Amino acid sequence: MSEAPNTWADSWATSQQALMQAMFPILPPGVASATGAPGALQEQFAELRGTWQESIEKWTELVKQGPKAAPITPEALRTLFAPDRWSGTGAGAFDAGLRQVLEGPKYAMLFDLDRKLLALRQLASQRDKDVASFQAILLQAWNTAFARFSSSIAATKDQAPATWRDMADRWLAVVNDTLIEAQRTEAFVEAQRKMLRSASDHRLQERKIAEAWCDAFHVPTRTEMDEMQRTVAELRRQLRALERANGPRPPAASHPTASQPRKRLAAKKSHASVRS
Amino acid sequence: MPTAKKTAAAQALAEFSDFSLKMARGQQMLQRLKDEDVQIATADKEVVFRQDKVTLYRYKATAKASLKVPVLVAYGQIGRYTMTDLQEDRSMLRNLLALGVDVYAVDWGNPTRSDRWLAFEDYVDGYLNECVEFICSEHRLSAINLLGICEGGVFSLCYAALYPDRVKNLILTITPVDFHQDQAEGRANHGLLNLWTRGLGADDIDRLIEANGNLPGELMSYVFAQMTPGATLSKYNVGLLDTFDDEKKLLNFLRMEKWIADRPHHPGEAAKQLLVNLYKNNELIRGQFRLAGRTVNLADIKVPVLNVFAKDDHIIPPKTTQALRAAVGTKDYTEIGLDGGHVGVFVSGKSQGILGKGIHDWLRKRD
Repeated sequence: MSEAPNTWADSWATSQQALMQAMFPILPPGVASATGAPGALQEQFAELRGTWQESIEKWTELVKQGPKAAPITPEALRTLFAPDRWSGTGAGAFDAGLRQVLEGPKYAMLFDLDRKLLALRQLASQRDKDVASFQAILLQAWNTAFARFSSSIAATKDQAPATWRDMADRWLAVVNDTLIEAQRTEAFVEAQRKMLRSASDHRLQERKIAEAWCDAFHVPTRTEMDEMQRTVAELRRQLRALERANGPRPPAASHPTASQPRKRLAAKKSHASVRS
Repeated sequence: MPTAKKTAAAQALAEFSDFSLKMARGQQMLQRLKDEDVQIATADKEVVFRQDKVTLYRYKATAKASLKVPVLVAYGQIGRYTMTDLQEDRSMLRNLLALGVDVYAVDWGNPTRSDRWLAFEDYVDGYLNECVEFICSEHRLSAINLLGICEGGVFSLCYAALYPDRVKNLILTITPVDFHQDQAEGRANHGLLNLWTRGLGADDIDRLIEANGNLPGELMSYVFAQMTPGATLSKYNVGLLDTFDDEKKLLNFLRMEKWIADRPHHPGEAAKQLLVNLYKNNELIRGQFRLAGRTVNLADIKVPVLNVFAKDDHIIPPKTTQALRAAVGTKDYTEIGLDGGHVGVFVSGKSQGILGKGIHDWLRKRD
């Protein structure tokens, strides 16, 4: 009994050689066959066989250079096709999702959190940049205000403020007008928009991270709570619409009367609390 | 000795001495004052109806009834109704009570994240409608007088248009109607909120609300402070110093600060409607504003309308509210323009004798 092949590559090479030998009996080139076929034909066959053999050898070498696979032995085949391998957990790609649910987050998911944190850092950096741009516009306005204030004092030397309070009032008037002027510019409006936007984006990214942890530790997330509250708000609206559809309120008196005594209202308070 | 006749050095010394004395006096006053001295919204009232976070108050009468139909005061969500009764001598509500008006006021409460889905329709079709129904039922009336303030004025406009049978007279104060008329008078300090809101994309507003759940009260405080840079910069230095002459002035200052600091979050969906549908798209005046599938048509308001505005309102510039005249479906439209700014209508000393009386006299002719 021949020794069982060790690898799939060995097995493949052996089987190919066996097939070739079966198809082309080994004869030296130029020798006619026992059937008396013409020598030219034999030569052609021999040439063809040689070419195929070379090809097989090349393929065999190539296959051998690949990763060493587990030998396909009868034992290996039995293991491969054993029913418990197909019905149990961990058979491969088919139950990867199930495995994740059962075993929890994988190592790879830690990098997902890293990515989220990285995005958060980037958004924080963007927010700081936008805040700085916004402040730069204001700073420029402050500088303009100071320049205007200085020149107004210089221009009205004779009527210079007599007290610190007069001075403060004049300064405040100049700074007020100059800042408002700046706040009406397109640059200010856009800088303010960007600052608000990047602050919102940063906060939402924080929420993503918080929700990842909530998910892992069985805590309801902000998003889930929002969804639930939205449902409640919508149900209430539907209820009100139904109440309206069910007809108008009891008719009120056609002639208005002066304010009712307070006793009546006090009695209604209990009704009010029922609705609260 | 008059300041002008002093030498520069003597003048500086006198000024420094006055300043130091004032500071010391102010410090003494601040040490003496306790939180209970700075109470706001203290007019006597009782809770008559509650739903969720919304409370309806009825104020106790202080004079003989002069009107048959009560007034329901509806403030907005940016700020709180307590501004209408800041202190005893600066209170629109007390002024109305003193003139024999039966006054109710709705307090929307303090919205939290759980209220983020509340929209204009919830306030108009829901809470405001419930309050009106309650008052109608209590007084056996078919309609009441509705007084809306600022965003509460927008709620009131929507309500009057959608429930015309329930409003006898409509009073609006500092209420925006045409949100794009902010520069009609070309005053640089007017309408910054309109300009900034138009500068935001609808998606920027969506992200803002998504991130915070509501329109944060702190953000609105910042926005309002930014609109009046001079006043903001001087408030806690020269402004506060000015009040150190007189304890009453200091208390006024502190009560106002208390009201300003009490800025609730604005429910998210309603905030989106305010900022996108109204401020950006100007849907109210265009007749395109829709609530729960119904369009708010201002021409459906056929009851008498009184529109009170502030001539120097930098938040609701006069033209943004005066646009109402051409939009409503009534010829009985009256305007009262008061000197001063947005909040000054309610809290300034000058307006105290005008606002309450103006409303009362107008209502009395239509009672």
